[in-house]
Amino acid sequence: MRARVDAMKSSRPPRTRTADPTPPPNFWRRGNYLPYIAFGSCGLLLFAVGFGLLRLVWTLGSGDPAAWNAIFESYGHPLYLAFHAFALVALTWFTFRFFRLFPKTQPPKLGPLPRPPDSVFLLGLGGAFFVATTLASLVLGGALP
Amino acid sequence: MLKLEPIVWPLFGLGMLVGGLLYPAFLLVATLAQPLGVLSADALSFERAHALASHPIGRVVLAAAIAFPLWAGAHHVRHLSIDLGGIARDAWFGALCYAVALAGSVLAVMAVVRL
Repeated sequence: MRARVDAMKSSRPPRTRTADPTPPPNFWRRGNYLPYIAFGSCGLLLFAVGFGLLRLVWTLGSGDPAAWNAIFESYGHPLYLAFHAFALVALTWFTFRFFRLFPKTQPPKLGPLPRPPDSVFLLGLGGAFFVATTLASLVLGGALP
Repeated sequence: MLKLEPIVWPLFGLGMLVGGLLYPAFLLVATLAQPLGVLSADALSFERAHALASHPIGRVVLAAAIAFPLWAGAHHVRHLSIDLGGIARDAWFGALCYAVALAGSVLAVMAVVRL
């Protein structure tokens, strides 16, 4: 039988209450917090690109070539181009920051083997990124069937 | 929210990986190179795109490429809200983030089924 999460909680408020933990004002501008917050903010880009892709696939399913072509014509607008260029740079940075963090999330032993050095993870993930990006670009670009 | 963590965490990790591996190529080719006229007109024509997307592998890749990154996005946005605004509103804001990801995932499956 497992204990409840709040099993050790006091039945009444303690005599001295501490305030909820809150970060100091403008903490995100200091030290390494800025890239940390920028990394978290990339979640908004994942939402935007994910729903953008959903819109494209939904339009494909509707069977209307005119609507499909209209989306790509709208992508030619300078605002769309600027946003997509920003999203490309930001998500590439996000990906490589994730790759650098990934080895730190791994346990000391992977099955019977000790955890390999971080550089092995970085090489593997970087290689996967290169292969996936090249393959997807060639397929989408029409160079591969 | 704590009870959701074991479900959300693998979706979040997969979303970072799938989004990180596929989105740069998608953004580069479909949203930049195509509108700028770098590619041939046929590369992302409706007929070719439909043929690629409706292939069984294309359907799986597209469903994964839409759904998983939405969960990663939801988790990041939820934690960004905690970092910047405190934990007080996490109960409803976190639920909202995951509800958006869930709705998007359902729509993604529907989108690839109706291709």
